[in-house]
Amino acid sequence: MTSTTPTLVAAAAALNASKIYGKDDSEVRALDDVTVDFAEGQFTAIMGPSGSGKSTLMHCLAGLDTLTSGKVFVDGTDLSGLSDRELTVLRREQVGFIFQAYNLIPTLTALENITLPLDLGGVDVDQAWLNDVVHAVKLESRLTHRPSELSGGQQQRVAVARALASRPKIIFADEPTGNLDSRSGAEILAFMRHAVSDLGQTIVMVTHDPVAAAYADRVVFLADGKVVDEITSPTSEQVLDRMKKLGS
Amino acid sequence: MSSPVIRLTLRGVLARKFRIILTVFAIVSGVAFVSGAFMLTDSVKTAINSLFEELRGDIALEVRTPIAFGDEATAQRDPVPAALVSSIAAVPGVSSVEVNIIRESTIVKPDGKPLKTSGPAFGISWLGQNGLDGRTMLEGREARGPGEVAIDKASAERADYVLGDTVTIVGPTGKGEFTLVGLTGTGDTSGGGGASVCAFDPATANTFLGAKGLADSIYVGLESGASQATVQKAIATVITTKYEVIPGEQSAKETAGAINDIIDIFGKLLLGFAAISLFVSAFLIFNTFAIIISQRLRELALLRAIGASSRQIRLMILGEALIIGIIATAFGILGGVGVSKGITALFNATGAAFPSATITISTRTILASLFVGIGVTVTAAMVPALRASKIPPVAAMRPEIGFTALQRNKRLLAGVITLLAGITLLCVGLFVQPGGTIGILGASGLGAILLFLGVASLSTSFAAPMSAAISRVLPFPLRPMTRSVAGRLASRNAQRTPRRTATTASALMIGLAMVSTVAVIAASVQKSFRDRLQGSVTADYFVTSDGFQGLPPAFGEKLAALPELGDVSPFRISTAQINGESKQIGAVNVEMGNIVNIKLTSGSFAALGNGQILVHRDPARDLALSVGSSVAVTWQNGTTTPLTVGGIYDDSSIAGNWLVSLDVLSKASTAPPVDFFIGAIIADGVDIETARLAVNKVADEFPSALVQDQAEFQKSQEDQLNQLLFIVYCLLVFAIGIAVLGIANTMALSVYERTREFGLLRAVGMSKRHLKRSVRWEAIIVSVFGATLGIAVGVPLGIAVSIALPESFVNGISIPFNTIVVVLLASIVVGIIAAIGPARRAAKLNVLEAISAI
Repeated sequence: MTSTTPTLVAAAAALNASKIYGKDDSEVRALDDVTVDFAEGQFTAIMGPSGSGKSTLMHCLAGLDTLTSGKVFVDGTDLSGLSDRELTVLRREQVGFIFQAYNLIPTLTALENITLPLDLGGVDVDQAWLNDVVHAVKLESRLTHRPSELSGGQQQRVAVARALASRPKIIFADEPTGNLDSRSGAEILAFMRHAVSDLGQTIVMVTHDPVAAAYADRVVFLADGKVVDEITSPTSEQVLDRMKKLGS
Repeated sequence: MSSPVIRLTLRGVLARKFRIILTVFAIVSGVAFVSGAFMLTDSVKTAINSLFEELRGDIALEVRTPIAFGDEATAQRDPVPAALVSSIAAVPGVSSVEVNIIRESTIVKPDGKPLKTSGPAFGISWLGQNGLDGRTMLEGREARGPGEVAIDKASAERADYVLGDTVTIVGPTGKGEFTLVGLTGTGDTSGGGGASVCAFDPATANTFLGAKGLADSIYVGLESGASQATVQKAIATVITTKYEVIPGEQSAKETAGAINDIIDIFGKLLLGFAAISLFVSAFLIFNTFAIIISQRLRELALLRAIGASSRQIRLMILGEALIIGIIATAFGILGGVGVSKGITALFNATGAAFPSATITISTRTILASLFVGIGVTVTAAMVPALRASKIPPVAAMRPEIGFTALQRNKRLLAGVITLLAGITLLCVGLFVQPGGTIGILGASGLGAILLFLGVASLSTSFAAPMSAAISRVLPFPLRPMTRSVAGRLASRNAQRTPRRTATTASALMIGLAMVSTVAVIAASVQKSFRDRLQGSVTADYFVTSDGFQGLPPAFGEKLAALPELGDVSPFRISTAQINGESKQIGAVNVEMGNIVNIKLTSGSFAALGNGQILVHRDPARDLALSVGSSVAVTWQNGTTTPLTVGGIYDDSSIAGNWLVSLDVLSKASTAPPVDFFIGAIIADGVDIETARLAVNKVADEFPSALVQDQAEFQKSQEDQLNQLLFIVYCLLVFAIGIAVLGIANTMALSVYERTREFGLLRAVGMSKRHLKRSVRWEAIIVSVFGATLGIAVGVPLGIAVSIALPESFVNGISIPFNTIVVVLLASIVVGIIAAIGPARRAAKLNVLEAISAI
């Protein structure tokens, strides 16, 4: 089941991916033979009810968790063959993350948080790019503040900037607006949209929120560990409609 | 370390200042002990070296009798004939020659009481205005003739004597009265280095000090320009080969060296306590880091998720430990000054005399402190750092994943193996005793460490049930707590993190295990001593010396002459070689057989009178000796006396392992005799009061003599043991103090962790008082758990050590139940103290903020 337009290269992909928790009676199939790919330069939303496996899929794609069977690829690299060290380097260089909460290191300033992945890898910061990113997320005046001195929306913008700073192949976002009020959430989503449309980033976002999903180019629906549907160029009404169907 | 790791490390330290202060505190005390031990020994050694260097003064060469073996600490040199002086004086290059005579002489104050000194009380021979040795005449002039004396200025001031006064002095031959004509000092100081000094002219010294024409040694001064080596050779040809001539520096160095050796032993003892403190601190550091890491789980996982390698995480945690270690060491070295002063004060308070000295901080002290302080901190943080680096990155999003802890079975197995290895090593050390003292201490010390680690690791497995049990069985006045919600919560909280509870309790366990061990040994020694005294000593009086040099033989002779006393015998100790090994040989009269029952199993005490030797069964067994065998005894002057074994005995507690008659000793060695103690029994038909009066009358002439009857003797011996115990307990208090800090730290961290929970409890109606009580109660459970573990480990350990101790020391086990109860009760107090801060903090939480905390 491939749904990608042949002209686009996959930034990340899963092939017959299965993830099973527990054993025998208590066995839970979080992912059940999922095959899906995510095109470069696209903003994809993954949706599904709680327990559908959407977070597990993302964790496995990002090299944070391992599959029970099947394969995942980031930029053509098979993650199953990688050591912890190689996975670390992959996360540092090819992957960016935005989490729902607790996204920042509390002891570092906003700027230090943004450049942290680069610093960890000993990579020089591309100052021009960093300025662009900081400008895009409107954080110029906040760079020397600690996370505790920032609002939730500002903290999340720092997280977006951090994900963008290393120009990763792909950014994974896990309910990035889940903890924000709707205005801050809309801001974050607009930045992410901007990053894809204008800066050529690839973003995969897990979300519950049909409004958030409407910012994406494509929505993939998961239920019971399987890919069950997808929409391209969605509107929030379409998404809501599909969700209702899945829920019934 | 790349720069973000350093940055994260520094920020991590700064963000947790409070935690880190507590941790630093724990290490500081351990390091303070280490550096304090070095500083104390260095300072005392420097003081002693400079004292002896000063006392050497202008002595260029010294003539003395050589010893065949041993060092200055145990040397009993035969004297040199004073007549050698004239022939040495004739040697070209020699400017002056003096006899060196040092005997015990006590100054009696105008009120008739002996002048107490912190050092020995000397009587010496003094020639000319300023002698060759470092002593100087500060006021007046030297003593000339039999009725004059010069004493050191410090003693004169303390006794309130001025020039021209009549001074009563008690010397080896008895009491004498002298006119004070001079006040002496050492170098520029007015004292005698803690000693009191009475200086007589050589002829008076010879008679009053009982030197009998002999000198301890002869001091030689050189004319300016004369070569020390040339004169040394020239003197060597004048004196016979019976004597030796050595440079003055060498003599000073040997004497100082002998004392330094003793100070080193003391320093090592202190280092032992330092090791205990550090071992306890290691638990605290380990626990603090483990808790901090679990609290930072999400942060660390986030770092991993965005690309920090596990190595970088490890370095970050170890970097934090390194910073803490460096800070703690710096403070610890400062604390060492306090420790070394405090210990000096502690020992001086119990009667020892430490020379006052400025604190010396050597490079070695600093290096050793750095090594120990940083080493312990980083080592203790190693496991938590490793655990931190294994946090899966996905935990950033799913905190419930957390650590991959060692499996329960694996941990149990590791604990059991460590415990068994510890017990085995301990038993080998105590009972097989390989490789002498070092082997015994090394094996049993390492065994004890493994034992503690094993118990600490196993205690994780029973921390939960034990906590539950403790909260059920605690004594009545506390019981209402256990029924309350606060009590139940506390008990559950102690159970919910068994690993943390166990580590926290383990720190206290070690300190209290040591206390229980020492308590059992002390009780056993005390009991054995009491039993023995009742079973084997028939003496009515024991006379021991209050001073440093033992009792002059004249005292024993006067006692023996008293009609009120029956059998009287002195006990002298001499060093000799038997079978190539250095041994202490006791010398007594045959009468000692009636005064002390040494439990002869073969032969008779009377054999002593025939010039035979009595041997304790242990050395007799080792050397396969029985009655009739012959033993060659080589004395320190090189003389060898062949002796026949006249008896084998069982009880070495008072008599030691080898006994000869005074006659045998005096024939072999002409070293000035000193009595170690004198035993006496009351003559038939004389009542106790009359006898005591007669003995006291003689004793009055010898201020350093301490006359005790059996009960007094027993009490004084027990007092000595209790003083020693007091010092040991004082030193262990440090280790226990660290453990209290550990409990406080863990409780503080737990309170911090449970902020939300406490907020919820307060929101649903728990009062501040109840919340405080809950925290306090949890601390009590943890500390009682630690105390129980400590007693459970310490009592058997004490029994094992008591069994391993020589029978002359311990011949029965006694378990001090009172002490154990006190330890348990004290642990409740420890819990309450440790909970003060954390409980207050928990109560101060703002309910709303606490609930909204993540």
